[in-house]
Amino acid sequence: MTTTNISPSKFLAQDNVYLPHIAVIEKIIDETPNIRTFHFNFNDRKLQKEFSFESGQFGEYSVFGIGEAPFCISSSPTRRDHLEFTAQRVGRVTNALHRLGVGAEIGFRGPYGNSFPLDFLQGKNLVFIGGGIGLAPLRSLIWNVIDNRSKYKNIALIYGARTPADLCFKYDLDTWGKNKTVNMVVTVDKGDQNWTGRVGVVPKILEEAAPSAKNAVAIVCGPPIMIRFTFPVLTKLGFAPEQMLTTLEKRMKCGIGKCGRCNIGNIYVCRDGPVFSYAQIKNFVSSEY
Amino acid sequence: MASKKVNKKDVLKLLNQWRQQFAVFVPSRESGVATMARWEGKDTGFLDWYRNTVIPPKANFLPPMEEMFRFQKDKAGYRIELPPSDGGKQLIFGIRPCDARAMKILDMTFEEDYEDPYYLSRRNSAVLVGLGCNNPGDSCFCTSLGISPAESNDVDLMLTDIGDEFLVEPISATGKELIARSSGLKGANKADEARAKEAKETAYNKVTRKIDTNGITDKLLACFDDEKFWEKVAAKCISCGICTLLCPTCYCFDINDELVRQEGTRFRSLDSCAFPVYTKMPMENPRAEKWKRVRNKVCHKYAFYPMNFDVIACTGCGRCIRLCPVNWDITQTLESVPTKTKVGK
Repeated sequence: MTTTNISPSKFLAQDNVYLPHIAVIEKIIDETPNIRTFHFNFNDRKLQKEFSFESGQFGEYSVFGIGEAPFCISSSPTRRDHLEFTAQRVGRVTNALHRLGVGAEIGFRGPYGNSFPLDFLQGKNLVFIGGGIGLAPLRSLIWNVIDNRSKYKNIALIYGARTPADLCFKYDLDTWGKNKTVNMVVTVDKGDQNWTGRVGVVPKILEEAAPSAKNAVAIVCGPPIMIRFTFPVLTKLGFAPEQMLTTLEKRMKCGIGKCGRCNIGNIYVCRDGPVFSYAQIKNFVSSEY
Repeated sequence: MASKKVNKKDVLKLLNQWRQQFAVFVPSRESGVATMARWEGKDTGFLDWYRNTVIPPKANFLPPMEEMFRFQKDKAGYRIELPPSDGGKQLIFGIRPCDARAMKILDMTFEEDYEDPYYLSRRNSAVLVGLGCNNPGDSCFCTSLGISPAESNDVDLMLTDIGDEFLVEPISATGKELIARSSGLKGANKADEARAKEAKETAYNKVTRKIDTNGITDKLLACFDDEKFWEKVAAKCISCGICTLLCPTCYCFDINDELVRQEGTRFRSLDSCAFPVYTKMPMENPRAEKWKRVRNKVCHKYAFYPMNFDVIACTGCGRCIRLCPVNWDITQTLESVPTKTKVGK
């Protein structure tokens, strides 16, 4: 298969894999009324320097006293003065995260999971398809690709959210929109009086944009409903299952394939994913994705 | 090393010797529930009533709840420290062959990729002294999983009841060493060994409950999407989780924090795929339906674990049958799996 398998992170190999590293929140960006991006750095300067990860990998973030939750690293490994993750306020830990301010300390374990297969993507046309907060893992890869622009062919991005207020990373969208080497379409399910862009759900806009499947890979991330409706459209456009990648989300606790709950059949999303091709997903024992 | 034997009356002395070096655990009744508990050096009365523990010996390695670390906030920020170590090397006396095999099965998960320091530090320093089962219960079906009730290669020492004495067989290097250091053991003769062999055969034949595990993984995968079948299987399940919490090979856990003022604890506790919250995410739940959870439980043991580790994660110990409040029976489920070939997806 095409995804990179990351062996247990060597440089973070301390005796006890469950002990988090302490990190400080350096900046908080309100993406939407209930989604925030947190910029953070490790307290241990040596670790900050030596920490390495790949686009697509995730971490377990602690709010001490509340608990841990998994989020992908939403910044790019090519931009390393700090790390970023993006969290929607939906549960216990994310509510606590949203109450934290700049300077607050959090815990981080990771990076865990596999990553987007850069070797496989090189020399190809890339079609990024994102919905809502699903742009977070794609964003790590998009910046990664832009920072190594010559290694890749055309870049297209179709990104949508429910309303203009729900669009994440508007500052990135502005930058990418001005980048002549990126072909970007931003859409919303429902516009408002100021919205002059496209209106329509992502799979529909994708069908209209009809990117060529030739020498292309589609990288899809968004709410499960969007993912489920996007694969058939891509198939219709001629994308083979191997040409469609996504990153899956499940409830996770340990992040390292032990606590059990993120399984889809015999697959553990934390350990065997989170990045999967549609070819892999179709071969899953279970359709519980 | 040749086999030894020990008179049942001298087990007390033997355990007392081992107690100098190990934290010795023996079958005990705590609030009426049989479990492996710390032996206080008093008596060996458990030899009279012990069949198997309700709480499997996995609890000695993966406790129902354990502290992972403590954290404290002061002016300099958060400080993390490990909890004090929990009492040194364990010697588990009387573990049954089914439960000893279960430990081998658990090892696979906790050793894979990232090592689990809590489980492995206990496990790697522990000595298992097995005690053959002379009277397997009605719900036991270990022989269908390739386990003999009175024989084991998954322990360090194996004891077999031969009347007034136990035959003591060293299985591992640790077991040999332990015998060499222990006094009060006599050499076993051919007659002792013959009696042990007979006891083992008798015990083996007493296990009458059987299942056919041949091709079970493929059979389960073939009917994985058969909702009607799984709904029938799950009909009486009340999602109480007992069959998983007390299963010697179930290991799923939850991680949570507790905070009192600025001092906190992160702990883990056993969890169960029987509970809807186990997989619940804020926006959706992939196994909200009970039949999907029961399917996951059965298939994890008989399909997913074999796919990942080439071994069925069940030892036929029978606890899930004995202890189920609504008499759900995994052997009935496995016997009723429809035989069909998988058509497409």
